[in-house]
Amino acid sequence: MNKVLQMVLAVCLMAVSSFAAAANYTLWVNGRTGGGVVGNYDSWNYWGPGTTAAGVNKKSVNWDGRSSVASQSGKIRDALDCFCTGNNWCYVVTHSAGDLIMGYTMANYGGSARVKKNATANSSGVCGDSDGSAQTGWNIKWVRAASGAGGGSELSDVGSWTTSEPLVQDLKTTTARAMYNHNTTRSVWFYMYAGAKGTAYSGVLPGQDDEAVAYHSTGGVSGSSGGSYCNPSDWLCNDLTLGTAANEGGSLKWSYHSVSFRDDSEAYNHYANGNWGGIVGVVRSAVVNSAL
Amino acid sequence: MPAALILALLAAIGWLAWRGDETGAPAAGVASGAGQPQGPQFFGQVEGRPAPPLPSERARQRQQLVELWTLADHTYCSYREGSMYPAGSRPMSQNPDQVYPNQPVTETNAMRGEDRKGNPNILLQTSQSRVYLAAGESVAFSLRAVEPNGNVIPLVVTRAIAAGIVTTGTRSTTQVPLAFADDGSGADPVAGDGAFAGVLTPAQTGLAGFHGTIRTEVRYTAAGKNGVLIFDVIYSPKVPATWVGTPREALEDGSLAFILRADVRQPGRYVVTGRIDDAKGRPFALATFNEVLGPGPNDIRLIVFGKLMVDGAPALPLRLRDVDGYLLKENADPDRELMPRLEGPVLTSRTQSMKGVSDAEFNSEERTRYLTEFAKDRKGAAASLANFDPSLPVPPSACGPVK
Repeated sequence: MNKVLQMVLAVCLMAVSSFAAAANYTLWVNGRTGGGVVGNYDSWNYWGPGTTAAGVNKKSVNWDGRSSVASQSGKIRDALDCFCTGNNWCYVVTHSAGDLIMGYTMANYGGSARVKKNATANSSGVCGDSDGSAQTGWNIKWVRAASGAGGGSELSDVGSWTTSEPLVQDLKTTTARAMYNHNTTRSVWFYMYAGAKGTAYSGVLPGQDDEAVAYHSTGGVSGSSGGSYCNPSDWLCNDLTLGTAANEGGSLKWSYHSVSFRDDSEAYNHYANGNWGGIVGVVRSAVVNSAL
Repeated sequence: MPAALILALLAAIGWLAWRGDETGAPAAGVASGAGQPQGPQFFGQVEGRPAPPLPSERARQRQQLVELWTLADHTYCSYREGSMYPAGSRPMSQNPDQVYPNQPVTETNAMRGEDRKGNPNILLQTSQSRVYLAAGESVAFSLRAVEPNGNVIPLVVTRAIAAGIVTTGTRSTTQVPLAFADDGSGADPVAGDGAFAGVLTPAQTGLAGFHGTIRTEVRYTAAGKNGVLIFDVIYSPKVPATWVGTPREALEDGSLAFILRADVRQPGRYVVTGRIDDAKGRPFALATFNEVLGPGPNDIRLIVFGKLMVDGAPALPLRLRDVDGYLLKENADPDRELMPRLEGPVLTSRTQSMKGVSDAEFNSEERTRYLTEFAKDRKGAAASLANFDPSLPVPPSACGPVK
């Protein structure tokens, strides 16, 4: 083999090893109830068939969906460390309380030192170190939130007396909104997808809802408490606007939160139903087209 | 992608080995020109090539590429603009719900009974003065029933009990009865206005040592109907660090730093937030400290970033107010212990001019990493769109040409 060919081979091998270490991942963070095996990034029980397309290198970030977001945030940090450090970058998708736990994690730990990992997880969902170095925060391109419950749900406001599920306590509207600064996303966008096919709890959930979470939360409306927001067809209620614009009535959205989908035809409810259903299906379509 | 790259590289190696090394430079030109459009466009299928998509399908594909370009451009441009200031020093306009942290949290919801169903004909206006309670602090609750048109409905509080929420199987806490009144005393500012108020001070009750969520259940009657309401507060009975000394200021690296000293009893990650107003009292910036502190005296710097001052041109001097902070405990529930709150004015800066204030953008390894990646994505999206149909222009960028 002549000298030039040897040099070309060497350069190519270096390039291959460098590029092979860089990948994009799509992380799916579940909401209340959970269902997937915690620590197993290929366990899709919560969402639907694992064979369904759901973005490049999809990973199911499972947490128990019942404990407090604070106590489970470590599961999210493990996943972000695994797939979103070093040369690897992530798209993150959340459902319901997954928005709360992702926002909490970003706001409180988004600027912390993270040891770079090798994207190969053990059975607990913890990955090995890559080169031993660290970086500030994670590599996240954007977050898409299906029925985001970062602003809580009034269904938690009618909870039981002195014992209740810790996550339900977190989801009380006043608690969820005081838990962390929702504006602190480190300039990473949260794209919000708000469903409106809800009737069962219309007397409890204000404005439009998807049977579990109302527009004030799924639309990322800022404030220490909820409120009533609707589709433009409802004249008796302020409109939730698309994008980052102030809502009708003047209320603002959290910074770096943008409404990508408002369910004007009231066609999508809250529930994935184990088959990528409801508002999750809308987000999945968007993810398939953009998480490349 | 890596597999495709490997195949391409192996093919290139094989081709180089086959053709020898004497004409390396021209080969690169041949390879680079291979993907360029060649000759006139035909509507019919070219032998040996897949059929081109139908016009509508092609339009859909281009639209998808336009959307990807728009997303990549927006991601890059907004990040570049947003990260000009560090995460710990932001314009207050970007934190609309953090301006006045000590104002009561108010809500209006349909009255609810034991059946959890809402009654849209009776609205319940509620407020609570705090959600997170530091050791020794009190919280005031109030409620009032109104019709949808705003008319007050007479209300009677029949029972109000506070207790700590415990996990199933754990011994329950003391139950603390609360008195709600509409007599213009205590937390009730106006007598006889239909709003009833009560105060809970956990430190003065059997809940003094309880750490976690204290739920106050209020049962009431309005318009002859029974209703139930819950207020939750998260109480932190221990003080992890105390404020010591006098707050001071310094101009550091072109930014204004409000420096508060804390005596840390329990080391760990501390999250401390302060609000900065300009000289006219207009909310200007939100400063957040989020770092790990060791035991003993520590300085906590709340920074007003130099460029933020230059861009915002606030009336000087700036004033720090309403500082709150907590020890953040990883993977724990409850996850925090609150420091004593500094409510109201904390420190007025002596800095009366912009002398020494830097207009340089924030820079860090994190910012560089993000901008590099987002610029790469933007460039790739622009190239994909341009290659798909070179006859159509790439839509303009929100922040300048692609480099």
